[in-house]
Amino acid sequence: MSAVGRVQQWATFGRMWYLFDAKWQNPFHSADKIKDILTGTHKPIYHDLNDCGDHVVVINSSEIALPGVEWEKRVYFHHTGYAKGASWTLAWQLHHKDPTMILRKTVYSKLSKNLLRRGRMEKLHIFPDDKIPDSILENVSAQLRQMRPIPKRLDHYTREEVEKFPKVFDWPKDYIIK
Amino acid sequence: MLSALNQTRHIHVSSPVSLKEIVVKEEDNIITVEGKYIKSPREALLVKPEHGECNSCSLCALNLNLKHTDVLVLSQFVRSDGCMLPKRVTGLCARQQKRVKWLVAMAQKSGLMPNLAPSWSKRDPKARYRSKKYNRYFDESTLPV
Ligand SMILES: [Zn+2]
Repeated sequence: MSAVGRVQQWATFGRMWYLFDAKWQNPFHSADKIKDILTGTHKPIYHDLNDCGDHVVVINSSEIALPGVEWEKRVYFHHTGYAKGASWTLAWQLHHKDPTMILRKTVYSKLSKNLLRRGRMEKLHIFPDDKIPDSILENVSAQLRQMRPIPKRLDHYTREEVEKFPKVFDWPKDYIIK
Repeated sequence: MLSALNQTRHIHVSSPVSLKEIVVKEEDNIITVEGKYIKSPREALLVKPEHGECNSCSLCALNLNLKHTDVLVLSQFVRSDGCMLPKRVTGLCARQQKRVKWLVAMAQKSGLMPNLAPSWSKRDPKARYRSKKYNRYFDESTLPV
């Protein structure tokens, strides 16, 4: 095998580590993207019997954004197996307990239900903030594109930017600015 | 009456408070109170719609696709305590007024305009109660108008 062919072989079968910033991202849409990487279905060499999934490192999972009233309406069910062991936890309560849990549960439920599922979940590394151990950060070589733009708060614009921004309407003449 | 006028003017923390300025002069035991119109600071920054003058309201004329994240536009329709300005002041048609009202509510629930809030507000979305402290976004296509 030529030198080029050998390197091509390494590059094809080597494991990639992707970084994904979950800040202001919908965890349910992000999970669709993440599960493709974990299973390796985005690769042309994908096959059911071929273990070609890549790693995904998710940061800022505590700053995920849910649409509308989903923090209050989405419910996570758990049953201990004992009598009266059922419990229902709202999304915001689960997020308060563990800020990585919503994303982890979503990816887990989107992966195919077979013996490879646990192994694929092991390739997912979720961190609530942007502090990653160096042993993980040194592997990261690529980044996944965010699916939603991060909105900018009004108080994060400078005073001049706000004042000099084009105005849509003018106040009536007798208006008292409050 | 005079002192009351002065007081109402000095309550405000931010600079120029009014499009009307009240000038008080005292000469030979005669006090003259004069109300003078001042130039609006917005006048030079107004955007002109593409096809000149028309009867529609300012937002209809501009044909903007407003989102709740466009806080630089939405904050123009809001008082410093976070209240929506009435139709009489904004000059919008009923449809746009309603739409802007909802967009402003969305922006505030997302915590994108924390500095436009009542005086007792902590002005920090992360310090809100229970589920309100977490990030959320809205879909404008769910609005009825
Ligand atoms: Zn209109």
